[in-house]
Amino acid sequence: MAIFKIHPGIGIARLGNTDEFYLAPEQLGALPIECDDQGREKTAKGGEPVRVQNFKESGDLSKIKRQGARFRVFAYDDENDPDGREIKIGDTFTFELETTTTGRTLVEGRVKDVQWTVHLANKKSSWYDYQETDGMHGYSSSHPLRNPTVTQPDLRRQLITDPGPQTVSLASPNASFAKGENPGYPQTFPPETILPNPITTLGDLIVNEQNKNIRLIVLGGQGNSGSTNTPYISSYTNNDGWFDDISDGPVTAVIEYDYDFSYTTQDEDGNVVEVTECRTGTMEVNVPAWVVVGYPRYVPEIPDMITLDEVIYDLSVRNFAYEPRLFGVPPYDKAGNSPKTEEDFRLWRNEAQYNPDYYPKFYKEIWPILLRPDLYRNLFDFDFFAGGDPHNTGTGGNLDEEALSMPPMHGEDPNFQHRQFIYKILRQPGQENLYTAEVVSRAIPDYHPRLMPMLAGNNPISNTSPEKFLRLTDTQLFLLGQWARGKFVNECIEWGEDDPNCKTPWKRPAVTGSQIDRGVLGNMLGGAFCPGGELGWIVLNTAIYSGPYRFRHTTYTAGALSLPAVIADQDGSPAANLAAGLEPGDLTKYIGIPWQADFHECSYQTINITYEGWNKIYPDSTGDPVQQEIADNIPWWPAHRPTVVLASVQGPQVYWASGIPDNNAGDLEMVTAWKDLGFIKYVTKEVESSIVEKIDGKCKKKVLGTSTVSAYSQVERNDAALGPPVRPGSGILGEVTKSADRRQ
Amino acid sequence: MAKKKKKKQPSRYERVVQILDAAQGDNIPDYQGNRAFWKDYDLLMHVRLYGQRMIAPGPHDHDHGHDHGSGSCCSTTAPASEDDGGSCCSSSSTESSAAPGSSAGSAGALADQPGSATNRVDLNPHAAPVDPFCWPTGGPGKGDPGGNGSPSGGTKRSDRSGLIIGLRGQYPFDGSNFPPLLWNAAHKVSESDIAFIADWIDAGCPRAEDDAAAPEKVRAAVKVNDMLALARGDMLHKVSAQPVSQDTKKEKGLYQRREVSTYTRAELDRLREALECMYQFNKFWQDERSFDFWGRIHTNSCQHGWEQFLPWHRLYLYFFEQTLQDFDDDITLPYWSWSDYADANKGTYQTTILDIGIIPEAYRCWLTNDGVDRLAKTGLFSNKDISNLKKTVGNTYNSGLRFLKAAKIDYEVEQVSGGPYEWTPKVRAVYDELSLTNALWFPNRWPGSVGSATHYPNKTDIDVILAVNNWADFGGGPEDDHHFGALEEVHNGMHNFAGGKNAFFKGDDTQNEENPKYGWMTDNRVTAFDPIFWAHHSNVDRLWARWQELHPGVNPEDLDGALPPWSLTVKDTLSIKKLGYEYMRDSYHYPVETNNGILRFDAELAGVRSSVLDTHRKAEVRIHRVRRGNLTNASIRVFLNQPGATADTPVVDNEHYVGQVSTFHGTCYGGPGHCDLPLPRSRGFDKRRLHHHEPRNFRVDATEAVQRMLAKGEDDLCVQLVVVDIDGTPKDDAVYIDGVSLNFFD
Repeated sequence: MAIFKIHPGIGIARLGNTDEFYLAPEQLGALPIECDDQGREKTAKGGEPVRVQNFKESGDLSKIKRQGARFRVFAYDDENDPDGREIKIGDTFTFELETTTTGRTLVEGRVKDVQWTVHLANKKSSWYDYQETDGMHGYSSSHPLRNPTVTQPDLRRQLITDPGPQTVSLASPNASFAKGENPGYPQTFPPETILPNPITTLGDLIVNEQNKNIRLIVLGGQGNSGSTNTPYISSYTNNDGWFDDISDGPVTAVIEYDYDFSYTTQDEDGNVVEVTECRTGTMEVNVPAWVVVGYPRYVPEIPDMITLDEVIYDLSVRNFAYEPRLFGVPPYDKAGNSPKTEEDFRLWRNEAQYNPDYYPKFYKEIWPILLRPDLYRNLFDFDFFAGGDPHNTGTGGNLDEEALSMPPMHGEDPNFQHRQFIYKILRQPGQENLYTAEVVSRAIPDYHPRLMPMLAGNNPISNTSPEKFLRLTDTQLFLLGQWARGKFVNECIEWGEDDPNCKTPWKRPAVTGSQIDRGVLGNMLGGAFCPGGELGWIVLNTAIYSGPYRFRHTTYTAGALSLPAVIADQDGSPAANLAAGLEPGDLTKYIGIPWQADFHECSYQTINITYEGWNKIYPDSTGDPVQQEIADNIPWWPAHRPTVVLASVQGPQVYWASGIPDNNAGDLEMVTAWKDLGFIKYVTKEVESSIVEKIDGKCKKKVLGTSTVSAYSQVERNDAALGPPVRPGSGILGEVTKSADRRQ
Repeated sequence: MAKKKKKKQPSRYERVVQILDAAQGDNIPDYQGNRAFWKDYDLLMHVRLYGQRMIAPGPHDHDHGHDHGSGSCCSTTAPASEDDGGSCCSSSSTESSAAPGSSAGSAGALADQPGSATNRVDLNPHAAPVDPFCWPTGGPGKGDPGGNGSPSGGTKRSDRSGLIIGLRGQYPFDGSNFPPLLWNAAHKVSESDIAFIADWIDAGCPRAEDDAAAPEKVRAAVKVNDMLALARGDMLHKVSAQPVSQDTKKEKGLYQRREVSTYTRAELDRLREALECMYQFNKFWQDERSFDFWGRIHTNSCQHGWEQFLPWHRLYLYFFEQTLQDFDDDITLPYWSWSDYADANKGTYQTTILDIGIIPEAYRCWLTNDGVDRLAKTGLFSNKDISNLKKTVGNTYNSGLRFLKAAKIDYEVEQVSGGPYEWTPKVRAVYDELSLTNALWFPNRWPGSVGSATHYPNKTDIDVILAVNNWADFGGGPEDDHHFGALEEVHNGMHNFAGGKNAFFKGDDTQNEENPKYGWMTDNRVTAFDPIFWAHHSNVDRLWARWQELHPGVNPEDLDGALPPWSLTVKDTLSIKKLGYEYMRDSYHYPVETNNGILRFDAELAGVRSSVLDTHRKAEVRIHRVRRGNLTNASIRVFLNQPGATADTPVVDNEHYVGQVSTFHGTCYGGPGHCDLPLPRSRGFDKRRLHHHEPRNFRVDATEAVQRMLAKGEDDLCVQLVVVDIDGTPKDDAVYIDGVSLNFFD
């Protein structure tokens, strides 16, 4: 019998302040997909999706379009079917049927419709304070709450924005998570009086039919955030009285199918006859999904140093036997790596290991990681003094593509040292608080290059459970380690010659379920989590997963979504329980409130690197006599929150957030100014090249010709609202100064 | 008239090439720089594609001298194999080359050197990461025939060959790591063609149909006419080109430890490969496949200065050799007959000039042209250096220091940030390369004088020792009255000669790993880490064995003394034959490729090494596995260098005549099949004695006959047999044999 799964396992919608929308990209670093007002994908000749060119409403630079999360139902022949296929109207399958007369039985049925159910909620204001990594391994009973004065359980539940679930299908294709749109459900919404922007909806649902596929589009909120007080921001993550319209929740589906029901009866003449009727049955999709609403992706084409896909891939590989050939029990085959029960999994995790003979493919598994730092020069100024490019991928560069892509041949490996150097400066597990490498070369013992990635970690701020710097995932490090040793394949010189996308495999549209799962998450942030981009460190907790790329759902009661245990225990109402699974709002509640505050501050960071072993010394020491060592200008996640960008293809470098000061007032300004910011896009432009000549004693321009220039540069910034962009070093309106401990 | 040329039937290998060519089509991918690797037979036999050996090594794969990369990492002649890339061969070697384009401009490159720094004996040649494939195993023990691609024991060679695994699309060529072979191919190779290639591999990958690599097939392929001709002496038997161990195994004979100068290049290379593989396990200090594991046994348990010296070391070598034979059961431990090198060493001891001693060539160091190229690429050497290095190619050197002097490179050690003295990058690069070229070479070895006079034993000295007629004087005193024996004393001196003294010792740490005061052979505690130790002790053991022949029954006092770490006693060491080996200067085998009874046996010249002819003590013709069942009796006359010998060839006053042996069979009194060959002994618990129908062996002393031939001016030898009835007339169908060999003893 076929197994039905929703893909992607985790979808991402994004806020916008217009009704217009496009669809989430399903490939790493791809532009979003254009669609019609029913969310039907626009396809170019050749079948490729049409890519979004404008992120704002036509003619209004203060209106950011929303991004819809698209979900589809795939059918798999059985557990061993790797790819599956999307179901279409009229497809026949063997379905489960449960009727009062027949009991549970199987019937041949034809797909007719899908009833999609989604339940979005926002629990941020009802949850605990975000205190960096504190809570990552459980909250103590004394961990402070947001809005701590609200302790009565029923009153505290009012802090949850819960519009209730909505169900849509082809027969009834539209629904909204707006106030008043769910008769019979005890909705809770923030007070209408919150300022500056009240919240009346968390989003919308649309079902469409495209090429006989029945697809769901989930749209998120409007980007509205407001406070019950006179609005002010005092913290990057915890601001009492505030609400925003970020949300997340489960996505489930029921397949409606027609089947032939035959029975015998007696006709008028008393003859026994067989009658066949067309009846409709339903069957719940076996593997449901989740949707997360995040803020706009201002740099859609440049991936983060660690994407959420890479985090969940690493976690799935090491915990769920997702890729036994890469990580498993020798001999790394499927048969020996198919744990079923919890106990199987525990045993498997004890024995499984990375396959030392796994040969990563350079362009699929290595280059995407190494390529990113070079792209960040479009988003951050790595060398404030000299303007150099430490990540150059050109000939002779530190990340010289040609040299690094060449595996050993005939036992010759001229690039061995080069690869080793790169590997040796990667931050390893346990080095999260280390700024520079120890001796990387016995020949040059005093050379201590900075460890990579040189990005802020899960907690560079407090000295309780610090993780000052980001490190790559275990799996990324393993793959790069194999590569450094020379165990890798350059697939393009071996079997990819005819493939135009050989060197950019991520540019192939996702087709299979797992490709969609991974492609979608490739555009979400996978660290550092302080608290994070779309999601926080909770995604590192294996307890919340039911399997690879799937969050565990739990059951809950209408109007009684869970609260922190310290509150819930007062009257025995439901308390959050990760072991049981997740309910609406349980993922985004770990993120800052309102999201704009943290988002604005996550540009770059000053990190105290005096001690590596921060936990081992007295962390709250005041008046520390030791001269503190500071690492300045450590970026957070340049691809999620750019800092210095090109104003135009040939334009000057400017501060991306020009016009929004770097202080609490700026954080508050961001609550409304986010919609005016520009997007960073790869722009190609024809330019004239000319010289000025003196002809007849007059200066005249002489056009020599035209050429194309391309660059990742800023588009659609609303200068009318924010003022002209400021170049680094000029003026105080930009981010010229940055206080060292703004995030504390 | 148009000539009708009969098209030659393609050989199976040619057919394999055709199959793969046709499937690949015009579009040939890189295949890790090897392109259409199947077109070059030698390459195909050794090539690894991303770590996967395309043709698994055969049970007796001796083709390791090729320049194509012999599969195992850091192999004798090949640079780092593709599998481990530079990580194994450039390990800890070229620390000073800056990473290209590093932002600081001074970025030091770092080599991968797992666990090497702390391992005292892990001198750089051995700092490679483990290649888990280099050592044969019995397989993982369950499931997945592809497994780790490990050359496991139980499966067919074709099943272990990456080419077949790849063509079948099995792991890792199942798409999970690599696509199925061939890549970018025009067509898939059909199942029947894959089966054809697999059969070809299992047949031993014959290059041409009469390829010696497939002896079983050859035997079947010998034409009936040829069989008759061979049996009648009308066709010459050929001398075997196989490693001696294979011949003796087929003849169910003992393993032969031979003087190192008589080992073929292939035999030595196999030994080198085994050692290379063992070096790779050095970081696993308890793994008995690690070379250091064996070195440490001497450090911790060796017996010297009393009667257990000889028995203990006999077992030590026995167990080490058994381990090497796990790697390849053709390997035996060569011996270094010191006295053969006495003349050459006349001027090298009792002198104040250090490390000019002469050791067997197999243990010396040298550079290949490829090695020079690799050194040039390190950027450490000036053009002049490289040109000097090039001039050394073709020569061998008795020590690393002598090599450096020849290459005009200063031997230097340096202290890095106050650490211990270590080789300068230049020296390290050269030493790495020398180790790569010859796994039997060792850097901390300066053979020659140890300042004051070292007595270098010549043949007379050895004869004097062999003439000693009691155990204590020869082999040392018992526990309660312990003293050195004569053989051990000579052995001590040769340890010191082999290790020598470091002329450039610096600092005060005499145990410094890269800068010790004396060569490691001089140091009881670390001596066995030098590969020449094993050849040296093999010679000690040989001299004991020879002395045992001369003085049968003269043994140490305490035969029940235990020899830890082994659970055997002195008594168990008394017979080397029971331990499965014998000593031999050299040995030449003629496999008999006919199923017919021998009437006359004629053979081509054996190609006996002139050094063997010059120096051997004894020569012997052996007739192997003479059938016993239901045959009439006959005599076998043995001649040397008498082509065309017949029953009429005189045996009196004929200097070519060696001697005669007679068979003593009988007719068959049992039921049908009673007189057939006995079943092969295949049950481990079969404790019965020799079967009375087991074919038997004859030995004829040929020492004098060989001397007569040499006196005649002959410079090579061949053997003839003539089978006669008891009345002296030619006798057919009486003598069936598996082989004849010509053997020389020291």
